[in-house]
Amino acid sequence: MSLLRASGVQAGYGKVDVLFNGHITVAPGELVGIVGPNGAGKSTFLGAMAGSVRATAGSIEFENQSIVGRKPEDIVRLGLSLVPEGRAIFSDLTVQENLRLGLTGRRSKAGAELAMEDAADLFPVLTTHCDRMAGMLSGGQQQQLAIARALVSEPKLLLLDEPSLGLAPSVIQDVFSVLNRIKQTGTAVVVVEQRAHLVMSIAARTLVMREGHVRATLTPEDVRDEAKLAEAYFGTGEDKA
Amino acid sequence: MIQTILDALSYGGLYGLAALGIGLVFGVMRLVNFAHGELIAIGAYLLIISVPTLGLPVGIVIAVVGTAILALLMELGVFKRLRSAGPAVLLVASFGVSVFLQRIYEVVFGALPLSAQVAPWMNGVIEIAGTSVTRGSIVTIILALVLLGGMWFFIDRTTMGLQIRAASSDFQTARLLGVRSNRVIGAAFVFSGLLAAAVAFVAVTQRGSVDPLFGVNITILALVGTVIGGLGSLQGAALGGFLVGSTISLLNSFLGNYRVYTYTWLFILVIIVLLVRPGGLVSSKAARERV
Repeated sequence: MSLLRASGVQAGYGKVDVLFNGHITVAPGELVGIVGPNGAGKSTFLGAMAGSVRATAGSIEFENQSIVGRKPEDIVRLGLSLVPEGRAIFSDLTVQENLRLGLTGRRSKAGAELAMEDAADLFPVLTTHCDRMAGMLSGGQQQQLAIARALVSEPKLLLLDEPSLGLAPSVIQDVFSVLNRIKQTGTAVVVVEQRAHLVMSIAARTLVMREGHVRATLTPEDVRDEAKLAEAYFGTGEDKA
Repeated sequence: MIQTILDALSYGGLYGLAALGIGLVFGVMRLVNFAHGELIAIGAYLLIISVPTLGLPVGIVIAVVGTAILALLMELGVFKRLRSAGPAVLLVASFGVSVFLQRIYEVVFGALPLSAQVAPWMNGVIEIAGTSVTRGSIVTIILALVLLGGMWFFIDRTTMGLQIRAASSDFQTARLLGVRSNRVIGAAFVFSGLLAAAVAFVAVTQRGSVDPLFGVNITILALVGTVIGGLGSLQGAALGGFLVGSTISLLNSFLGNYRVYTYTWLFILVIIVLLVRPGGLVSSKAARERV
């Protein structure tokens, strides 16, 4: 059974479509990567799944239930959580308040305390800074906060948009090792990344997007195949959509 | 002298409450609600009509509930339908609502002022430290302190308040976390209605009458207050409103026979403040970061 199944998804902003044919299937507990150049429609695809970008065509099913046209605040309650690009933490709220906001999207009130503790276990640094304004945290800590905030809603599927953006290389390693641990707890993850090698090494499958289409699906073994990577990324000869 | 200070404080409190009501709605939906004045006016109408027959406590309940309901109706009937519209459309729509309600009041209540004694005891004087001061100014200061304190508690300590703060700084992200947009905006309108009713109570006891344009002046000046305080910051709105109100009151007493120039001086000061701090006194971090 698949947790998320999307096909033929078309979406964009205003009258301009950016995404023309997005398709993806995610099984429970699976980690799937999405890579591709700037403007390929990766963020738009994630936004369409989370409900923050309106899909104009195609189908998106979460646990066999169509979520096209549903509001983001309802989709998160089904168990699908997006950590948007640029972290989007509330810098003028405290770390603690940011985490409490994450509880809003829980399906039930029960277990909220436990979820907060689990998030604190995953990111100990957040506990030491819990009364600080989130804007005072370093870039890496803000990214950790954004992920922790999404996790306290205990999503079945976590969508991450470029978690490595603007982070130092050592910090990026930390963030990705956390993704591995999230996967081990049984939460499925879809991660959009510019750094193809990094995401391919931990993902079961990696989709390559270009010009609004999903152009190829790569396996972890392909990470060493530079020619195949380059072809998927830049397209040589004719494209197969 | 004591009376001058108390007047300044009570005027400041009054405008602070009005500005906070406007700031609440601006925060969550970037709407400068010009129709806030008509919320104040309906509160005053309800007081003037109900208090003489039903008494003050019942009249206050009717005014508060009625004003909050009208605020919610504004949101459900007009602004909710304009969610995806830009700020300019919202602004013009709020002008439309404002003028529409003024005409409705004219038809229902008449264009001439309605007058009644709402709380005559507020015009009496009491002795403080050997000087007599009006009860009204004391009551207004206490009311403003209680309401500002209550609003602070609501915004800073409750879950709904936290959601309102989150929605004010980044609505999209707040929704991704599960904050229900309609509920948060509805709550902001209801609370702005409650604050408008409080303003109506104080203003109507001072003036003793209400007409269709009752809330226009105070709303414009409160808007100036929210801008001085820094749009997007609730503390800023309350502070800005307070400063505008108390400055008007102080100018009125110091200028004496030249009080026609009160607003000239007020706006000279406003211009200076904005030249020195274009983002307002308390510029919100959210607004700064977007630049």
